[in-house]
Amino acid sequence: MSAIIFENVYRYFIRDGRSFPALDGIDLTVADKEVVALVGPSGCGKTTCLRLAAGFELPTKGRVTVGGQQVIGPGPDRAVVFQQFALFPWKSVEENIAFGLRNQGAAASTRQERISAIIKLMGLEGYETAYPHQLSGGMQQRVAIARAYVLDPEALLMDEPFGALDAQTRIVMQEELVRIARVNPRTVLFITHAVDEAVYLADRVAVMTRRPGRIKEILDVRSVRKAERWNDHERIEDVMDLESFVHLRTHIWRSLREEKMEAAP
Amino acid sequence: MTHVKPSSARLRLRFTRRFLLGTASVLTLLTAWVVLTMVTGTISTSRFPSPLQFWQSAKQIVTVGYADATLVGHALHSTRLVVIGFAVAVGIGVPLGLLMGWSRRAEALINPAFLVIRPIPPLAWIPLAILWLGLGDAAKIMVIFFAAFVPAVINTFTGVRAIEPPMIEAARMLGTGRWRLLIEILLPAAAPMIFTGLRLSLQASWTTLVAAELVGALAGLGRVLNMAQQDIYPAMVMVGMAAVGGLGWATTRLLAEVERRAMPWLPG
Amino acid sequence: MASPSQRPPSKLEVFVLGFIGLAGFVGLWLAASTSGYVPRQFLPTPFDVLARAIHLLTSPFAGATLPVHLARSLERYACGVALAAAIGVPLGLAMGWYRWLDDIVTPVFDGLRFIAPIAWVPFAALWFGTGIGGPIMIIFSGAFPPCLISAYRGARFVDSKYIEAAQMLGTSNLRTVAEVLLPASFPSIVAGLRVGAGLGWQSLVGAELIVASAGVGYMMVQGQSNISTPTVMAGMLAIGLVGLLIDVALRQMEARVRRRRGLA
Repeated sequence: MSAIIFENVYRYFIRDGRSFPALDGIDLTVADKEVVALVGPSGCGKTTCLRLAAGFELPTKGRVTVGGQQVIGPGPDRAVVFQQFALFPWKSVEENIAFGLRNQGAAASTRQERISAIIKLMGLEGYETAYPHQLSGGMQQRVAIARAYVLDPEALLMDEPFGALDAQTRIVMQEELVRIARVNPRTVLFITHAVDEAVYLADRVAVMTRRPGRIKEILDVRSVRKAERWNDHERIEDVMDLESFVHLRTHIWRSLREEKMEAAP
Repeated sequence: MTHVKPSSARLRLRFTRRFLLGTASVLTLLTAWVVLTMVTGTISTSRFPSPLQFWQSAKQIVTVGYADATLVGHALHSTRLVVIGFAVAVGIGVPLGLLMGWSRRAEALINPAFLVIRPIPPLAWIPLAILWLGLGDAAKIMVIFFAAFVPAVINTFTGVRAIEPPMIEAARMLGTGRWRLLIEILLPAAAPMIFTGLRLSLQASWTTLVAAELVGALAGLGRVLNMAQQDIYPAMVMVGMAAVGGLGWATTRLLAEVERRAMPWLPG
Repeated sequence: MASPSQRPPSKLEVFVLGFIGLAGFVGLWLAASTSGYVPRQFLPTPFDVLARAIHLLTSPFAGATLPVHLARSLERYACGVALAAAIGVPLGLAMGWYRWLDDIVTPVFDGLRFIAPIAWVPFAALWFGTGIGGPIMIIFSGAFPPCLISAYRGARFVDSKYIEAAQMLGTSNLRTVAEVLLPASFPSIVAGLRVGAGLGWQSLVGAELIVASAGVGYMMVQGQSNISTPTVMAGMLAIGLVGLLIDVALRQMEARVRRRRGLA
C-alpha cells in the first residue's frame, strides 16, 4: 500500500544561531491511491512538507513514511513534478523521459515500450526529439509529468505543478491530469495556491495554518463529488459552476483568509 | 539615435550602411598606410614598414624562410606547443573545477594552494621556467599550462555552482548514480561556462606562448618576432604579428565551432 | 549548491580543511626542495624565498631594491591603464551612442584584437628602446580592449527608458552621452576597468621581461640570468601580491558603486 504518512512532523531551520519553526506538528495521511491537495497561506510550510516527503530535507522531529518505508532521501519511488519543470535542457523529450528508467537499469526494449505508452498518454506524439526550449510551458510540464509517471512511482509529489503556466493552459492541464488519473491512479500529494484547482482535482483538501504550519482542517471532497455527481460534467467550467463546488471553495477561502488576517500586520 | 525597434527595411539599410562604412574605414587606413610610407615618406620605414616591404618579407619567410624555418614551420611549432599546453591544462583544470564546484569540502581543501598560484600572472612564470627547463619546448609548455590552467578551473567551478538546485534535485529524485550525474547532468549544465573558460584559456595560451618565445626560443613565431626585432627588420615583425593574429583567430574559430556542436540544445 | 547529498561543511570544517590544504602545499614544497632530488639551487625552500624577499626589501639587486623596482613597475602600469581608460571609455561610450562611429571603428578593432598585446613588444622595442614608452604601450594594448568594450556595452544596452526620458526633455546628443549614458553605464564601466587593470598588470610583467631596464619583471630576468632562483620566486611573490591587492581594491570599489546604485 503506497500511503504517505506524516507522523508528528516538526521542522526547524537554524539561521544566525536562532531556530525558526517551519512546521509545528504535522499529522497527515494520504491513503493509497488518494489525491490530497495541500493549501495554505504563503510561507506556511507546504513546500517544506512536500520536500520532506520527497526526501530533499529531513524532519527535525517525527517522521515521514511512504509505502511503509521511512523517507531518508530522494528517489524514483517518490516522483516529483517541479513548478519550474526542471527538465534537462540538453536532452530531448524522449531522453528526458527515459532518464529515470535508465537509472533503474530497465532493458532497452522495456524502456521503449513504457516510453511510447506514456508519450501517447500525455499527448506528446511528434515531439519525441524536440528540445525543451522548443516547447511551450504546458508541453514542458507534460514532459515533466511523463517523466514522473513513467517510473511507476509509489507516490507522486507535485509542487505547484501548474504555477508557471498561463491561466488557460492551466485549465487544460487540470483536465488532463484528471483524465490521466482515471487511467492510471496513484497516490498523489500536491501543493497549490489555486483553491479552485485543489477542489477540482483532489479527494481531500488539507488546509494549513500560517507559519509555523499545522494542519488546520481537512475537507472531504470525494464524497461531495460522488454525491453531487461532478464527474457527469466533462468540462471544468461546468463543475465549477455547481453549488456544491462553490460551497467548498468558499469555505476553504474563508479558512485561508482567517490565517492571512492574523498574519497581516 | 532613437531606440525604437526598426522595421526590416530599415534594418537592411542599417546593415548596408554598416558594411559600407566599415569597408570605407579599413580602406582609408590602408590608403593612408601606402601614402604615408611609400609616397610622402612621412613615416620612416625604419620604424614602420610599408606595404611593399610587408609583402616582400611575407614572401621571404614563406618561401626561403627566416630565423631557421619557413612561416609554416614556425607556425606549426608554435601551434603544437599551444595545443599541448592547452590540452594538459584543460585536462587537469576542468575535472578539478568540477570537483571543487561539486564538493565544498574539496573546495576548502584545495583553495589555499590554488589561491597562491592564481594571482601570479602567467608571464611571471617565464623566468622560472627558463631556469628550470631552459629555452626549449618544455619550458614553453610549462608556462602555457599555468596560463591556461587558472581560467579553466575558475570557470568550470563557477559553472557548476551556477546550476539551479531543482535540476540537481530532479536528477537525485530520478535515482541518478554518481558517474551518470557527472557526465549527463553536471557537465552539460556547466558546459556554457566551461567553454567560456576554454576560450579564455586559449587566449591566455597564445599570449603566453608568444611572450615565452620572445624571451628566448629556438623556433616558433615568437622567435621570428625576436629575431626581426634584433635585426631591426620591422617588416618581418609585422609579418610575425599578422601570423600570430591569424593563428589566434583560427584557433578561436575552431573552438567556437566545437562549442556550437557540443551543445546542440542551445537555442540559436 | 553544494553536493546536496551531504550537509554543507561548517565554518570550522572549512577552516580546518583550508589549513590542511595550505600546510600540505607548503609541506610538499619543503619536502621536495630538501629531499635532494632537485638541487637546492633550483628549488629553494619557502623560507629561502621569504628570506630573499626580505633581503631585497633593503638591499639592491639589478640596480635597485625591491620596493624601488615595484615603484618603477607601478609607475608605468598606472600610466598605461590611465591612458587605456582615458581613451577607451569615452570612445566606447561614443561608439555605443553614435552608430556610425561604431561602424567605422569596429572593423579596425576586430582586426587588431587577435594580436596578443605581447606581440607589440618588438615594435615597442624598436620605437622606444628600453624607455618608459615601451612598457606603457604594451600595458595600454592589454588594458584598452576591456575598457572600450565595457563602455560600449554599457552604452548600447542602456535601458531605453532613460534615453526616452532624455529625448522627451530635449537633451542634446553630447549631454545625453555625458550625463545619461555615462552614469547609466557606470557599473559596466567599472567592471571593465577591473578586468582591464588585471590584463594591464599581466601585460606589464611581459613587457618588463623584455623591454625594461628597471622594474620587478626586469629584476626577475636578471635573477634568472644569475641563476638566483630565490630572487625569481621573490619577484613572483611580489607581483602576485601587488596584483592581488589591486584586484581586491578594485572589486571593493566596484561593489561600492553597485551598492550605491541598488544593484547588489
